[in-house]
Amino acid sequence: MVQNRQVYKAPMFPLWAVIAAVGIVLAIATYPFYGAAYVTSLLGKFLCFSIFALSIDLIWGFTGILSLGQGVYFGIGAYFTALSLKINYAAVNPTRYGGTIPDFMEWNGLTELPGFMVPLQNLPFAIIAGLFFATLLAFIFGVITFKRHIYGVYCAVITLAESLILQEAIIEYQAYTGGFNGITDYGTHAQINVLWLILVVTIIFFIIGRILTHSRIGTILKSIRDNDTRAEFMGYNVANYRIFVFCVSSFMAATAGAMYAAWNGIISFLDAGPVFSIEGVIWTAVGGRGTIIGPFIGAFLVKGSEYFLSGKLAWTWQLIMGALFIFVVLVMRDGIVGTIGKWWSARKKRISN
Amino acid sequence: MTNILEVKSLTTKVSGYTILNNLDFSIQENELRVVLGPNGAGKTTLIDMITGRYKPKSGKIIFNGEDITGMAPDKIFVRGVSRKFQVPNLYETLSVYDNIMVSLKGRRKVMKSLLGKVTKQDNNRIWEILDFIMLAEKAEDSVDTLGHGQRQWLELGMLVASEPKLLLLDEPTTGMTKDGKEKTAELIEKIALDHTVMLVEHDMDVVRQIAKNVTVLAQGQTLAEGPLSEVVENQEVKAVYLGKGVLDGT
Repeated sequence: MVQNRQVYKAPMFPLWAVIAAVGIVLAIATYPFYGAAYVTSLLGKFLCFSIFALSIDLIWGFTGILSLGQGVYFGIGAYFTALSLKINYAAVNPTRYGGTIPDFMEWNGLTELPGFMVPLQNLPFAIIAGLFFATLLAFIFGVITFKRHIYGVYCAVITLAESLILQEAIIEYQAYTGGFNGITDYGTHAQINVLWLILVVTIIFFIIGRILTHSRIGTILKSIRDNDTRAEFMGYNVANYRIFVFCVSSFMAATAGAMYAAWNGIISFLDAGPVFSIEGVIWTAVGGRGTIIGPFIGAFLVKGSEYFLSGKLAWTWQLIMGALFIFVVLVMRDGIVGTIGKWWSARKKRISN
Repeated sequence: MTNILEVKSLTTKVSGYTILNNLDFSIQENELRVVLGPNGAGKTTLIDMITGRYKPKSGKIIFNGEDITGMAPDKIFVRGVSRKFQVPNLYETLSVYDNIMVSLKGRRKVMKSLLGKVTKQDNNRIWEILDFIMLAEKAEDSVDTLGHGQRQWLELGMLVASEPKLLLLDEPTTGMTKDGKEKTAELIEKIALDHTVMLVEHDMDVVRQIAKNVTVLAQGQTLAEGPLSEVVENQEVKAVYLGKGVLDGT
């Protein structure tokens, strides 16, 4: 018997990918110094969207849980941060009515900051609380659904309902959330150090995602995606694995939301709603689910062409986007990256034979 | 020798129908037991009960001295029971190698698999199993490129990789050619050398090739039990299979 035989395993971080990544990161990091301000503001947004798509890819592409409500976690992260920024901003920049609390609170008859919001005056606390709360909610949701063997379509419907509920709650409790108008005008927009922060966090999450999906646990997650019955009868507590990934994913989404709020300078109920959640699913599908680079390409491509086309073709761009999505679903099931990857490995096999 | 598995007066009903009726059944350590029975006798249901897929209405299942009645499938697995499904249940997008890799014994908890790596010993063990199930050449291929027989073997290999105390095999030769069946029967015989195996089988050629002790189930109860040669002569057993000619091989 021949010992020490190996199977080919792609390296965790291939050299060409590292070189390309360094190039892209440097280009984005220095872009504000020579590029257009408008494009810079888009870059920061797209990076946040990329992380959001990556978080969907982790649960959907790698573990097989389709969530149509990932916006909930993005929204929680965004709202905690934006509220804190707004409270602090209002304290030193009185509204035109002279108050030192956020304007939307005044409009709704509040005269002072509600007691439960006082801790939000501390920005680092607010951010950490947002991330913690989002992860906790994901954990509770996971225990309720996955432990009771609810997944597949039912899970998708429940998560969709989740984001609808949050969206309605934000609109309903407008004295605390800004309601329909969202939270605006809190003094942070497209600050270059925030862009660098976003970039660093993106790199970290990218690396975490790659390690998580390319190591032994990644193979286990894929096996659960492929056949959860077999995994269960092979001794894996499938629910625990799903809860774990769901928490990691929600933490990423919340982080993306928090940075998005700081970068964009305006957020609204739409950033927690079902439409945004489903958009994230589309970015992932177009880019290539089950790949780590796919969500990034998907988010940049779809969102980028959206901004580009809506300027050039004000009337037809949505049709084009819709057609693109249908094309991907029908013809390129694995998305852009997945299709190229398959073609590449098929070619390699042809050559080696 | 001690009984590794004891099923005591097990009863289960599905929408009013009694599938298992006060069934008593036991397997000794290191035994190879073949379970026969006509369709609907409750063979697969028995496996489902032992592995925790469904909960029995009444009765007890004792494995290795411990009551496992109603436990979750993954808990029962950890105690040493691995099962093979009638239709091969594999991880379709993973490679053959990875299918075995995730089946290796131990490291089932989330945190352990988060930190766990595939060690040299793991790698050698995987290749050993791949040789054993004659799929070493296919190691890097994805499972969906395998033929039907190879898929059955792979699932057998996954069970062996998990180093169970008891293997439950549900008709592992279903849909195979004659040649494939013989090879599979050889595999099972080899596995049975150092494992306790309960084999549910329809195909009498396979049964004849490997069976020593046989249990015949009918209508959720044990009809006959003992060496194959005796059971075949049993009048009640003949009556159950009457007209089918299965037992005579005609």
